Formats: sequence, C-alpha cells, structure tokens
Amino acid sequence: MASANDPTSAAEAEAGASRDVWGRLLGGGWIFLLLIALIVIFSALRPTQFGSAYNLSMLAVNAAILLVLSVGQTFVIIAAGIDLSVGAVLVFASITSAQAMLHLSGAPGGTYGTTGGGWGVVLAGLAVALASGAFWGAVNGFLVAVARIPALIVTLGTFGMALGFAQILTNGVDVRAVPELLVDVIGSGTVAGVPVLVVIAILVSLLGAVVLHLTRFGLHVFAVGSDAEAARRSGINVRARLIGIYVLSGMLAGLAAMMSTARFGTTTIGGHAMDNLSTISAVVLGGTSLFGGIGSIAGTVVGVFIPIVLLNGFVILGIPPFWQTVATGAVLVLAVWIDQLKRRARERG
Amino acid sequence: MKTKHLPVAAGLAAAGFLLSTAAFAAEPSVALVLGVKGSPFYQALACGAQAKAKELGLALTVSAPDQFAADSQIPVVNAVAATKPAVAVVVPTDAQALVAPLKQLAGLGTRIVTVDQTVRDNSFVETQIVTDNEQGGKQAADAMNTLLGGKGKVLVITQPPGSAAQDARTTGFEEELKKYAGLDYLGPQYQSDDPQKAAEIVTSTLSAHPDLAGIFSTNDQGAIGALTGLRQAGALGKVKVVAYDAASAEVAAFKNGSIQALIAQNPKVEGEVAMQTALTLTKGGHLDKTTLTEIVTIKAGDTATADKYEYKGDCM
Repeated sequence: MASANDPTSAAEAEAGASRDVWGRLLGGGWIFLLLIALIVIFSALRPTQFGSAYNLSMLAVNAAILLVLSVGQTFVIIAAGIDLSVGAVLVFASITSAQAMLHLSGAPGGTYGTTGGGWGVVLAGLAVALASGAFWGAVNGFLVAVARIPALIVTLGTFGMALGFAQILTNGVDVRAVPELLVDVIGSGTVAGVPVLVVIAILVSLLGAVVLHLTRFGLHVFAVGSDAEAARRSGINVRARLIGIYVLSGMLAGLAAMMSTARFGTTTIGGHAMDNLSTISAVVLGGTSLFGGIGSIAGTVVGVFIPIVLLNGFVILGIPPFWQTVATGAVLVLAVWIDQLKRRARERG
Repeated sequence: MKTKHLPVAAGLAAAGFLLSTAAFAAEPSVALVLGVKGSPFYQALACGAQAKAKELGLALTVSAPDQFAADSQIPVVNAVAATKPAVAVVVPTDAQALVAPLKQLAGLGTRIVTVDQTVRDNSFVETQIVTDNEQGGKQAADAMNTLLGGKGKVLVITQPPGSAAQDARTTGFEEELKKYAGLDYLGPQYQSDDPQKAAEIVTSTLSAHPDLAGIFSTNDQGAIGALTGLRQAGALGKVKVVAYDAASAEVAAFKNGSIQALIAQNPKVEGEVAMQTALTLTKGGHLDKTTLTEIVTIKAGDTATADKYEYKGDCM
C-alpha cells in the first residue's frame, strides 16, 4: 500500500473523491434531467410540431405498451434476473387471446377487419392473454428458481418457444379480425382526453411502484436481488419469490398483448422482436442496476420515454435515419456508464 | 470535465439542423417513410426520391424504423404526422396495422401515397405505387423453367407468410410452375431476412434431395444465404438460382455466375415516381388509384442490364 504522502496516490484519491461527487450527482435523478432537457430542446426547436398536444399524446401512446412490459422487467432485474422472453410472450398471448375472441365472436379465421364481439368477449380475451402470459412466466420462474438454469438462457429459450408456438397456432399469418369494441374503446379511445392505453400504463406503473416500494413482496424482491443467500437465511422463500416475479412479468406481457392487439387492430407476429432489449435498456436507463438489488419504477418510466422522445424528436427535426441509430445507441452506453459511476460511488460509501 | 460541453455541442448540432431545414420552408413539404433502415432497396428508393425532389422543388425528409415491423414503424409515422407535411409517401410495413395511423395522418390534411407495399383499406390513399409482385413471381418461374430445361426439383426460399409482397411473389411462382409438368416443386421454406437461416435451409435440403436443381429466393437476404449454403455444399453453379431483387451482393453473384437470373424492380424510378406524384397532389391534380412500376427479368450474361438495375443507395 502506498503511503498518504505519495503525491500520485494523493492525486488519485482526489480524483476518486471527485468521481464520488459526480456519482452522487448523477445518481440523483440525472436521467430525469436528461429527459426534461430533451423535451425542452425539441420543443424550443420545433414548438408547433414537437410541443403540440397531438404529438405529446402520440408519444405517450407509443410509450404505453413498452412501459407495461418494462414494469415487469424492473421487478425481474431488481431480483438480479433478466427476462428476454417478454416480446415473444406478448406475441404468443396476443395470438391466443385474439383466436379466443375470434372463436367467441363466431367469425371465421381468415377474416379481415373487426368483429362484433361484446365486452364479455373482450374480457374473456383478456383472461386468456393474462393466463398465457402467466403460463410462460411460471415456466421461466420454475426453470430459473428450481432447475437453477441461468435466467439469460431460460428466457432466451422461452423466447423461441413462445414465438414458435405463436407461429404454429397461426401458420405465421396474423389474426386480423378483433372485436371492434377493443379497437375503438381501448385502442383509440380516450378518458377525459387521455388515451385509454396511457391510462392503463399509468395505473400499471402506479400499482407496480406501490407493490415494489411499499409492500413486503417488494422488499423481498430487493432482498433476493441484493443477496439471494442472505435472503434465504433470513427466512425468505427465495424460490417462491422468484417464480412470483417471473409470473408477474409474464402477466404484464399478457396485458401488453391486449393493448397491442387493441392498438394495431391485428396481432403482430413479425413485430416486438426488440421489445426485450428495449425494456432492458429502459430499466437500466432508469437507474436500475443490472446486477440487482437497486432500482425504481419511477426511473423505468423515465427510461422508457428517453428513446421514444429521441426517435420522435429526431424524425421531426429531419435528422437522417442512420444518425438516429448512432445517437440512440450512444445514450444507452452513457446510461450504463452512469450506472457504473453510481455503483462505484456507493461502494466507496 | 469534457462532458460538460456535450449538451452545448448537441444543442449547436441541433441548431444547425434547424437552420438547414428552415431554408426550405417555402417549398411544399414531403415526408418519405421507408420500410426499414439500411436496406439497399429502400435506400435506392430514397436516393431516387431525393434527386427528383430537388429537381421538382420539394422539401423532402426521409425517415425509417429499425425493423420492418408495424410496432417499430408507427412511432415514426406519428412523429412525421406531427410535422404536418403536405404529402406523406409511406411504405406500410403491415396491411392492417398501418391503416389507423395513416388514416389519422390523412385526417390532419396530409395527402397519403403508399409505395412498394400497400394497405388493406386504401379509401384514404391518393395512389399506391406498386410493382406487380405476382407477375414477378411468374417471371421467375419462367426463367427457372428455361434454366433447367423443363426438368428438376425446385425449392422456394421466402419470408414467413404475412408480408403481402413476398407472399405474392411466392404465389405467382407457384401458379406459373403448374404449367411446367417436368418441374418438381418441393414447397417453400422460410427465412426471416436471415442469410444464416437460408444457408441452413439449402444445406439441409441438399442432404434430403441431392438432385435439387433450382432455388428461387423471393428476396436478397435469402439469395445471399442460399449461395452461402450452395458454396458450403460444393453445389454452386450446379444448382440454378433465380433471385428477386438486384442488391449489390446479388449483382456481384450474378456476374460471377452463381446466380443465373435476377427479377429486378427499379427502386430509384419508384422514388422518382413517388415525388412526381407528390408534386401532382400539391398542385391539386388527380391520380389513378394504382400506379404500376416496371419489373424486369435479367438473364445470364446480361451484365449491362444488371448494372443498370443494381440497388444502390449511392446518395446517403
């Protein structure tokens, strides 16, 4: 160990201290300030276009489905896991629920457009979607918690299986006829001027935040993510908690599936391939540690909006598509760097 | 801390974009939304459109989603809607899912033109600029029959069902193939824009059918993968390949003899036609519901035509 009189180590210590200060500053909602800064910059440059009520409501609708998925992903990542299957589970759940609704409305399989299914049909579809999501969540949770296979591999595997089964069920052809009620009232309807999809996303986020930060289940999620062995020794049923967490993530993917079907008026087998990475980057952008034990729903909400605001602003400014890709990638790297700074600051006390 | 200057630099860059785009504010604004970033076909289309827009005095902005999928494209369409362009030229990535956002865009006063792909409900679309993909598939079957001298096993490599253009190419090929009794059709195999998967399909098919005579790929990624598979199996040149599109890799393979026929569209001309259409619309003119653009079969040895039709994003 170098002595305190050593000039180089003193300089290092000083640099370390300055990094600590930065780390604390960055940890305190820096990413939220980034989001505000982006909104301010884009609004200043294109006030009538970016800042219009129409555009802001479109931004919120674009974020809604991803936000519901990301709330589930936040629980999983705080528990030191990862869920790569969310997009595929969404596709699977949208297929099973759309087929169920089609069957209940009595319309033939190849129908285009909308069916006359009532609220009963829509609720039945929702139940099927949630059950489908919960099923894949349970599979993920069982394999991770009981069979002890790494979450990365388990959820990559179920990603393929869920997508494959979705294609088998449909021969790869989207179900294109869903109840008109679902598309009109949920997909493009509003409550007091706020799109219904956004209302659902807000409710899910609030509920998610309450469960994560104010309940014993939430406390256990943090405990499992910080140190699973310590959690086990202090009497937490780690297996049951892990299964519960993956089931939660799966069910939220099921809910997101209904929102997706309502929004697009069709299932989207070819889409959602990047949802897993989008949700993970949103969660990490929001300050949740990829190593578990730290995180918040509020951060995730901010993390979901940053890439969506960037894309929207770049398109409105007319920035060339390839530069958009570069810029969005750079923001993600910046966020992971912030995560590193925060962790170092914490380790130093 | 160098990082302190980052927001300033970003602000300056953004201000630069503001100034450069503001200069065109007086010209009619046209937004072009491509199917996906980085595809040679769509880039060539954008290049054709950009050159023509300049010539016609249109202020053109080009945007594209990360994937050829509705959930990736709709946020881009929504952002374009916020800029309220006079005309929006869109490659709809899904026949149904894009109907609502495009209808909304039309409701804001923007005239809608679809290009390359189309939507199921086109009541609000001024014109759809398309090639006859089914006809292209038929031309591929004719070329295949000629290449094989009317005899042999034929495989199709295409996208999973759901993409209207790819489905039509396959359908056209299958329909025309019925005329040729000597050709034994093995059916379609699916790759999702993944050359690796196409290569695996080809090597496995060769294991099952060593006498495979011909492969028709409905797009460039499938063709590139098919050639990789054939090279791996040492069957390059022995198995005849007919491929849709004229991406640079395909044209190179065509010149060295690994692909024997190309079914090419002309994306640059499609982009030019789109801008011409936009100009007509801003001047209050009327258009036919469908504008067809050409499609050609390029036969072995005809390198001049291959060069002419090669998809080049040479303006980006």
